[in-house]
Amino acid sequence: MEKREITQVSGMPIVAGFQWSVGKMMERFIKSFAERKILAAKCPKCGYTYVPPRLRCGKCYTKIEEENLVELSGKGTLIGYTTAYVQLDGKGNFLDLDKPKMVGAIKLEDSDSTIFMPLGEVDPKDVKEGIKVEAVWRKETKGEIADIVYFKPAR
Amino acid sequence: MNRKIAIVGYAQTHHEHDPPNTREGMVFEAAKGALDKAGITREAIDTVINVSSDYQDGRTISNLFLVMAEGAYLKDESKVEMDGAFGVLYAMMRILSGNHDTAMVVGVTQGSIFSPHQISFYTLDPTFDRQIGLLNDISAAAIQARMYKNKHDVSDEQIAMVSVKNLVNAASNPYAHRKIPDLNVKKVLGSKLYYDPIRELNISPISDGACAVVLASEEKAKEITDAPVWIKGVGSCQDSYLRDRNLLKLESLEIAAKKAYEMAGLKNPSKEFDVAEVTERFSHEELMIYEALGLCSEGRGKILIETGVTERKGQIPVNPSGGALGADPVLATGLVRIAEAAKQIRGEAGKYQIQGVRQALAHGQTGLCAQSNIVFILGGEE
Repeated sequence: MEKREITQVSGMPIVAGFQWSVGKMMERFIKSFAERKILAAKCPKCGYTYVPPRLRCGKCYTKIEEENLVELSGKGTLIGYTTAYVQLDGKGNFLDLDKPKMVGAIKLEDSDSTIFMPLGEVDPKDVKEGIKVEAVWRKETKGEIADIVYFKPAR
Repeated sequence: MNRKIAIVGYAQTHHEHDPPNTREGMVFEAAKGALDKAGITREAIDTVINVSSDYQDGRTISNLFLVMAEGAYLKDESKVEMDGAFGVLYAMMRILSGNHDTAMVVGVTQGSIFSPHQISFYTLDPTFDRQIGLLNDISAAAIQARMYKNKHDVSDEQIAMVSVKNLVNAASNPYAHRKIPDLNVKKVLGSKLYYDPIRELNISPISDGACAVVLASEEKAKEITDAPVWIKGVGSCQDSYLRDRNLLKLESLEIAAKKAYEMAGLKNPSKEFDVAEVTERFSHEELMIYEALGLCSEGRGKILIETGVTERKGQIPVNPSGGALGADPVLATGLVRIAEAAKQIRGEAGKYQIQGVRQALAHGQTGLCAQSNIVFILGGEE
């Protein structure tokens, strides 16, 4: 088969702006990053603790109120990790990273959910499952997701 | 089940990356092929289930332009936007309702149009997990693979053996996409590293392809063919989103399999089916699948691959066709597993036919780290 001629069709790939309402729990979660606080929602019935917080327990369907929000220490245990050598470019291509980056699966103290966060200040060789890690905040926190730069091994 | 249902026809395209064919062309080829195989025409089909994805096809209501290609115009038609094996479950429900006697399920994905890995990124929670940037189906699977390796002391070599088995198997399957007859563990471990420990040859290929399966009620099935493949059992189960799930095992698959075994009346499953066709998007997943299906106890998947139990000549051959590592036309992949299992029962698998297959297992999955799973038990005897 000869190389086919490619005709650009407008509208592909789709460029669409989406605006999600994050809900009041998630809003508080993100805004409290300004004060370097990580909030979690503790189910008043079964005790399962969600981070990020949720309005209703997915395990037992109990309503979780704002008063059930608890502040976490920002420390946790690394339960899994990977070293990334490539990164998606948003168009479906895997680009090689100049320097490998690490992503960790972290269980924060007093929470049950697992969060997936970048790991920093660490040599991939020294990373082990079960090590304690802590959040590293950017200098000026603004109440945005980007306020947490990465997690690093806890001293 | 209140009615017996059988598979009476199936067909798939030759899976490739960016073949000289259109989405409509592939759907037509699979649908026409399945009808021809059953020896019927589109008039004999009561309801059609399309399996395709808006994101993957780059258009909204991905099925609407496929209605003619799949022979569904002026007929009852609906769509499933998950793995094709879930489409078969939906078609079964339509027959079980009593409103339809025959159904065709047609699944299609052209992975070459837009990377399924990029799409996996869009399945993440947009307000939190997407912000991290590095999380996608492969990196999530890599985290899972490492957890599994550490917990059960599984080596990269043992995981690579799954790729070797399946890609060598794929070499004798005329429909497979990635065929590497001379593959060995060293070559797998020398392939490009994406997310440690996952390398290129641990990941299913990005394929374009379609598959169609024709189902019929007992009465119709017996009219249509002398060799119906009966659906003896089916079970499906979903787990929670990545954040609130135990990634160390495929619990939803374990539950799905138990339901399917119970419906099929299997007391000692690993001895009662003769071959399994499973959807392993990553090679470590196949080991986890062995465990969830009860072929061995937790953490012992490595023993099955090492001792050759799941080779074509082993006691429980798994993926003699090459599995998803051999070809992964995403939404059609579970449907291909069902078609391959049916082929084995009918003795039509050619070079990769397993001798004396009476019952077979087929598995499909959807979602990051196999969030949703579905298991079918098929049999040649009533």
